[in-house]
Amino acid sequence: MLTRINIGPIHPSTHGVLRLVVDLDGDTIANVEPHIGFLHRGVEKLVETRMYMQSPPYMEKLDYIAPMSVDELYVSTVEKALGIEVKERAQYQRMILLELQRIASHLFFIGALTNDMGMMFTGFMWGFRDRELILRLLEEATGQRMFYVNMRLGGMVNDFHGDFEQHVLKTMDYMEKRIPEYEKFLEKNPIFKQRTKGVGVLKRDDAIALGVSGPVLRASGVPYDVRRDNPYYFYKELNFREMSLNGGDSFSRYRLRVMEMRESMRIIRESFRKMPEGDSTGQMVKLRMPPVKNKVVTVAREVPRGEELMYMVAGDQKPYRLSIRSPVFINLHALNHIAKGHRLADLYPILGSLDVVMADVDR
Amino acid sequence: MLIGSIESFMQAGINSSDVLVSILFLVLYAVLVSILMSVYAYLFGWIERKVIAKAQYRHGPNVVGKYGLLQNLADLVKLIAKEVRYPSNADSRAMALSMIGLVSIVVFVILLLPLTPGLAATNFGLGLLLVFVVLGFSPLLLFITGFASGNKFGELGAQRSVLMVIGYDIPLIIVVGTIALAAGGFSITGVIGAQQSLPFALLMPIGFIVFFIVMLAEMERPPFDLREADSELIAGWLTDVSGPYYALALMLDYTRMFMGSLLISILFLSGWAGPLLPPLVWLLIKAFIVSLFIIIIRATVVRLRIDKVLRLGWIYLLPLSIANLLVTFIILKG
Repeated sequence: MLTRINIGPIHPSTHGVLRLVVDLDGDTIANVEPHIGFLHRGVEKLVETRMYMQSPPYMEKLDYIAPMSVDELYVSTVEKALGIEVKERAQYQRMILLELQRIASHLFFIGALTNDMGMMFTGFMWGFRDRELILRLLEEATGQRMFYVNMRLGGMVNDFHGDFEQHVLKTMDYMEKRIPEYEKFLEKNPIFKQRTKGVGVLKRDDAIALGVSGPVLRASGVPYDVRRDNPYYFYKELNFREMSLNGGDSFSRYRLRVMEMRESMRIIRESFRKMPEGDSTGQMVKLRMPPVKNKVVTVAREVPRGEELMYMVAGDQKPYRLSIRSPVFINLHALNHIAKGHRLADLYPILGSLDVVMADVDR
Repeated sequence: MLIGSIESFMQAGINSSDVLVSILFLVLYAVLVSILMSVYAYLFGWIERKVIAKAQYRHGPNVVGKYGLLQNLADLVKLIAKEVRYPSNADSRAMALSMIGLVSIVVFVILLLPLTPGLAATNFGLGLLLVFVVLGFSPLLLFITGFASGNKFGELGAQRSVLMVIGYDIPLIIVVGTIALAAGGFSITGVIGAQQSLPFALLMPIGFIVFFIVMLAEMERPPFDLREADSELIAGWLTDVSGPYYALALMLDYTRMFMGSLLISILFLSGWAGPLLPPLVWLLIKAFIVSLFIIIIRATVVRLRIDKVLRLGWIYLLPLSIANLLVTFIILKG
């Protein structure tokens, strides 16, 4: 006989307002049904009523753990629709900030994952402590801790200040020392290994069939990364390693994110070296834009959670239609597939390893 | 000196031939022990918050009272002032009674333990056995609370509670038997006496580890807090316990820690034995260190899964406890 329990939308570890209806056979999960929509704000529709450059603040609230990545995606979509070139220096600066954002997001992920496994917030606070350093850097660059709105068409709101490079490199040196600490803390913990290795296995073919992307896909052995396979900005000129792990389990998904943090740090260092001198500020925000009529553009970006995609039908002064492919929304689909047959206690680490942000799912 | 005279006065009262006087003194003793227990529990409620905060690079409570010492009092007052609510399908009487029963069990166990050489509520020869018999009721009461709450999370927590007992009770009893074997009897005073030359923690290190792990599970401390499992089952068997009863449950956390630390220090760390300081102080110092260690464990581990607990119990703890029994037997007789 199956017991049906209802987890959430108010629950300590559903990463926001996610409701899971779980059918339990004893303590084993027979079926998980995610119910979403508790955080639906109708952003896609809202954007249609706003001028192009009025929307970035809304976009940042989509993925509140890595806000700049969505903001940048939206601005890039508009730039592509309006045919605006981004200054070279600004491209490098965007890459640097986005990779910083990726590190911050992955630190959050590690913290949330340990929390889901029942560590009393220690991992969470550790992750937050280092994330805070990154946020401080982002604040230095943009003036805000979380919601930056620092992209303008063709560039940034302001250039990096003189000491910024040094500050970033110093923090990167510090992070270089901290990441092994996380590895020691978690990977040498037998209980952590027990609870993640071989748990929630997503096989390669299933991963492709389910359409997951980002770290979840790469942890299943598919080295697909938009930065590498469909490069934007100067990613193609950097040599960053292709990353994939074959495990497909929660542990691989955790491990891959640690690897990605290291890779992001390399990208940041290299970008600073290659960044040309000059000016990176973009256009002033104008309410009236050159008229575009029904131009369809699609832009894909590798955000920390996967491949985020924006499809925009540009209208006159306002987007006619904006559609967002959220990586989290699609990764969440894999939950039932990989959680089935595991014990209830494993549901949370599995959900945590998918790194869901409900605001991006519900939009 | 003062402590000594109070001790002998109390002991004389408890041993008095007049039943009424004896009962009166027993009640007085129980009240004193409860006060000690509450103070310890309160103190550790604060210490745990501070220690864990340190591990997490936070400050911990620091607003209410000096160093946040009154934070727990504030929490307690808040909880006690709250309304008690039961879900419509809960058996409220069973829930309330079993919560009170759980605390009573802890108090009773502490009463059975001799806290100083001169003073004990009873010198019952089978004290050690009685302690663990009484302690065996606590998972049952836990199960009743969870099951009676009529909440599915409570029910799951209750089921886990019973499953865990299957995992750890047998190794526990074997280790306790080994202690009795080494001490030559089930008297707790005798157990402490037998450790004068060598604490049992050194005589049977394996047994100590097994006992420590089992006590962690008994006290519901991480990584064995599966019945409560706040990130999985909301609060497990405590999900629908509210108001003053929840305050009781919070107290229970630390009173159980006191009980467990006392048991570990008495059975393995030679109890009150120690130079210079009075016996009670030595016992409390040992219990304090054990409790501190338990708290540090809490800050660093992730929770075990129920099947892994059973696995741990049957595949590691049970053979280890049997090996401990054999080795101890050989050391003692050989």
